[in-house]
Amino acid sequence: MTPSSLPPLLVAVPFAAAVLSALLPWRRAALAHWLATAAMAIDTGLAVWLAIGVVGSGTPVHGAHAMWLPLGALELGIGTFADPMGAIMAVIVCALATLVLAFNTWYMHDDARAARFPWQFCGFAAAMLGIVVSDNLFLSFVCWELVGLGSYLLIGFWADRPAASLDPDYQANKHPGARGVVESRLSPAMAQLKAFVMNRVGDAAFLLGIGALLALAQASGHTGAVLGFADVGGWTNGADQVVFLGLSGKSLAILAALGVFGGAVGKSAQFPLHTWLPDAMQGPTTASAIIHAATMVAAGVFLVARCYPLFPPEALQVVGWTGGITCLLTASIACVQWDLKAVLAYSTCSQLGLMFVALGAGAENGGLVAGIAHLFTHATFKCLLFLCAAAVIHACHGHQDLHRMGGLWRKMPVTAAASGLAVLAITGAPFGSGFFSKDAVLAAALEHAQHDGGAAWGPFVLACAGSLLTGAYMLRWWLSVFAGRARDAAVVDHAHDPSAVAKFVLVALMPCTLALPWTAGGWLDRALRSLPPGTLVPGDEANAAHGTAALVAMLLLAVGAAAALLLFAGDAARGRAARLAAALRPLHAFCAELWFVDRAWDRLWRRGAGEQVPAAAARVDLGSAERLQALEHAGARPRSWSLDGLVDGLGGACRRLGRLGSLAHNGHLGGYLAAASVLAAAVVLWGLLW
Amino acid sequence: MIGPLSLCVLGPLLLAALCLVPVRAGLPRWLAAAGSLLTTVVGGLALADFAGHPGADFRFVEAWSWSRYYGASFGLGIDGIGAAMLLLSGLVTLTATIAAFDQQRAPRVYHALVLLLLAAVNCVFTAQDLLLFYVGWELVLVPMLFLIGVFGGEQRRYAALKFFVFTLAGSVAMLALLLALWNATPPGMAKSFDLQQLAANWQVWRDSPFLGGSLAQFGFLAVLLACLVKLPAVPLHTWLPHAHVQAPTSVSVLLAGVLLKLGVYGLLRIALPLFPGMAIASAPLLAVLGTVGILWGALVALGQRDLKRLVAYASVSHMGFCLLALANLTAAGATAAVVQAFAHGLVSPLLFLLVGVVYERAHHRDLDRFGGLAQPMPHFAWFLLFGALAGCALPGLAGFVGEFAALQSGFVAGAPFAACSAVATLAPVLAAAYLLSAYRRVATGPLRHAEHANFADLGAREWAALLPLAVLIVLLGVWPRPLFAAVGESCAVLVQHVLGARP
Repeated sequence: MTPSSLPPLLVAVPFAAAVLSALLPWRRAALAHWLATAAMAIDTGLAVWLAIGVVGSGTPVHGAHAMWLPLGALELGIGTFADPMGAIMAVIVCALATLVLAFNTWYMHDDARAARFPWQFCGFAAAMLGIVVSDNLFLSFVCWELVGLGSYLLIGFWADRPAASLDPDYQANKHPGARGVVESRLSPAMAQLKAFVMNRVGDAAFLLGIGALLALAQASGHTGAVLGFADVGGWTNGADQVVFLGLSGKSLAILAALGVFGGAVGKSAQFPLHTWLPDAMQGPTTASAIIHAATMVAAGVFLVARCYPLFPPEALQVVGWTGGITCLLTASIACVQWDLKAVLAYSTCSQLGLMFVALGAGAENGGLVAGIAHLFTHATFKCLLFLCAAAVIHACHGHQDLHRMGGLWRKMPVTAAASGLAVLAITGAPFGSGFFSKDAVLAAALEHAQHDGGAAWGPFVLACAGSLLTGAYMLRWWLSVFAGRARDAAVVDHAHDPSAVAKFVLVALMPCTLALPWTAGGWLDRALRSLPPGTLVPGDEANAAHGTAALVAMLLLAVGAAAALLLFAGDAARGRAARLAAALRPLHAFCAELWFVDRAWDRLWRRGAGEQVPAAAARVDLGSAERLQALEHAGARPRSWSLDGLVDGLGGACRRLGRLGSLAHNGHLGGYLAAASVLAAAVVLWGLLW
Repeated sequence: MIGPLSLCVLGPLLLAALCLVPVRAGLPRWLAAAGSLLTTVVGGLALADFAGHPGADFRFVEAWSWSRYYGASFGLGIDGIGAAMLLLSGLVTLTATIAAFDQQRAPRVYHALVLLLLAAVNCVFTAQDLLLFYVGWELVLVPMLFLIGVFGGEQRRYAALKFFVFTLAGSVAMLALLLALWNATPPGMAKSFDLQQLAANWQVWRDSPFLGGSLAQFGFLAVLLACLVKLPAVPLHTWLPHAHVQAPTSVSVLLAGVLLKLGVYGLLRIALPLFPGMAIASAPLLAVLGTVGILWGALVALGQRDLKRLVAYASVSHMGFCLLALANLTAAGATAAVVQAFAHGLVSPLLFLLVGVVYERAHHRDLDRFGGLAQPMPHFAWFLLFGALAGCALPGLAGFVGEFAALQSGFVAGAPFAACSAVATLAPVLAAAYLLSAYRRVATGPLRHAEHANFADLGAREWAALLPLAVLIVLLGVWPRPLFAAVGESCAVLVQHVLGARP
């Protein structure tokens, strides 16, 4: 029997830890870290307890539910529940958060502001757990925004740093060929703002989706609590009879699904809103380790999976294509990045794209289960990769240029081994956890393509191309950092493995990169079987595409890995890589310029909604800068066409009219007499004539 | 027997007179604090009463005959909406008093004017009689005119005049038409300014011819104009940036926290119940006006370099949500409008206080000349971030409750309103952009000027003004149900009355 107080407790514990570690005046940051770590460890225990109960029984646990916001006949509530998917996700979130916090005690041991990290981190984890255990879409939206706040704080952890263009460290360390990034707009403060606003763009779609769902509920006569996850299919019940805003209920349902997906595009950094995630590398690497793994970006995939019955095939097609495009686009960018962390950041976008390809394949093709499974496995190995990256950057005195590293495996054997395993997992090598889940993703996409044909092949092909590149760029990453000889002694000479605690964290995560913990006894399959009806589990006989997909995946990995080995293993090979880059200069430049997506956004912001349009609006409202200046300080106000100027003009007209009238009232008796006599004469004349 | 409401109206008047007695220079601020505390307590108790026992009735009713011939009375009483507004007026005035606790220039006059303003505002929020309502409505202008025109910045007279003429022009027509309404009372009925009787007579105004149209048409337009100027709705808003920029911090707090709410309250109390037919006919137009205000205010805010003007335009945008919600003429919408007005009444003063904090130290508000203030003033920076997040409707803070309820009430209200809500969903994106980039430009990055390093962090007075607002913003954001419960019934009955006029 699993207590129903467990799901709310899962959120309450990290929240309490966040409040406590924020308010107590910690003399030593390590103490705050240990308090937070202990809280997250307890939370992990609770999550495991919950997961064992829920997965074992296969029935969800419902916590208390309270009404929060009345909306006419409808009520939006807050409450919690945990099904197997949520419970496993909760375990992953809590466990990774615990490990990252422990790792951070070492990573930030000489940072003056380290005491700030635990509370922001715990708050972030609490918000994510809120999404995980929320029992309705409204509460999910609330936590969704709070997750955005958490990422805002963590990305801006070092918000007092200058922009990259003014940062001597950045300028000294950057690769000579660095391009694509707008350096004057690359700083932690900018990155946190960008992340929040980009996410808000997605959230506007999310709000619209909620609005469409509420309109549907209202129009089809629902009352009381709405948008509960217990009955997602019921949200659009009765939609057939509804016509709203000129849209049939069915198109409204599609709109709602796309709205929710729009939110996920923002949070999960999918094209075209993906550009905030690479910028978010401005935050601490340990923050990236959780943002890229179990919180924030995972939220998008999780939410789409949660609302899966809401998605009609038309919407799923959009999901699949968006995922496919992101997968290939960001993988190709990752191939040419010089920054250690940027490669990982783009690989996150790419892997998330893969998850959306799976989700887009439809539940009947095993897509839902494959997407979730990949979400879980990816969380663990991506977290490990980022922690390894943190160790490497720390060891290299803050240097992040792949081209100046090399040979680190001798100096940092544990980190090299851990990241090696994680690389094997992410590339989908046999016996790795990525093999198990990525194979399922490709199988689902292939099955979907074979079934539906036509456009359904798109996501599959894009995902294959992305997977091919994944093998190449991840091996390039590992080979550049750890293999061969040291290319820049100044960077790598004093490198060493991190402290014992940090090493322990790396070692503890290593088993998760293998397939065995995920497949042993088929527990994950069994757990995910309880997902909405019609969901097939990978490995079922029905999924005929499985064998083909495995073959394709192996082939892609072999080609990608061979290319990476040919180009990056050893000095001679690196010469070949340079020659290849020169030969494919336009393509190379296109990828290095990030497909011009960042530049396009930057331009759109400056020339459009961000700067020029508001400036023009401000001019229309209050007038030119000179007028504004005059409005604040004493002096004559220049005329300037604007709304406010119009008001002043009206006032001026009144004043002039008054002055005109006052001309007659000038106090000269002669004038008055003359006017009076003219008037009298006129009256007399009028009397005589009529 | 003087009841609590007349205490709220007459008490501050008496205290204002006491302020002017030249005994001790330190006394007036305590008198102002006492007056606002009194209003806060009465408003709080009344709101608690409505939250505990929801109902649409008017409570704490008092009535003294004022003029038997005109049928006017000194009639006071509040429903849930009035209680919420009364509490807000007390809270905001208290905050403004704390913010101006060290007022150096003519403290007697200053605090007397604040108390006079409080009395006038309380009179509006509690009046049961149209004439009394109008007296309060116009009386508000006098202290505000002097608070801006005497205590303001360099161009204070220009700003004060603009504020005065704008709002007066909005409400003179109202007076003329109120008299016409009174005059049109059918022969058998006693002429009266009693609001409930007037509302019950709505069909009479509809059927009385006036200047080629019906009395209801002209009356509605007059009241609407008066309220839209106060709200303010685009394009009648251009007095607001001047008034805010020139006003001292505490007056900006009052202006944003209380004065703008008069517009919402007037719409709910006069325009809708007295002219329900016109309200129904013009609802889509009002929704469009609200949406235009939301987006235009947000866009112009994004284009500002002056921090205070930015916050002023943010007000235009946020008050647009009130109009948008109110326009859809559902109980949920009217409730959302009141809640949003309340939330804005907490958030906007907080932001203006923070602008004041930074202005007091830097003596300018130019966003391009700040940077890195989080280093010398970490607590200020946290408050600024908090205010920015509350302003851009982060869940868990007050701004979210009002905006979310306003948007979603539009979605469930039918076609034109849903379309307006759909367009207005862009506002939170823009709000995040202008408020958080203001935070970025003020607080983050390396320190721009060496002398900024010596800025002192928040002092005791600033903490005392900011902290209660922050706590209330969190409370309302986390648990808004009491407010919804207190306001909901009154709004439901009001909307029911309006919809009763549907042909």
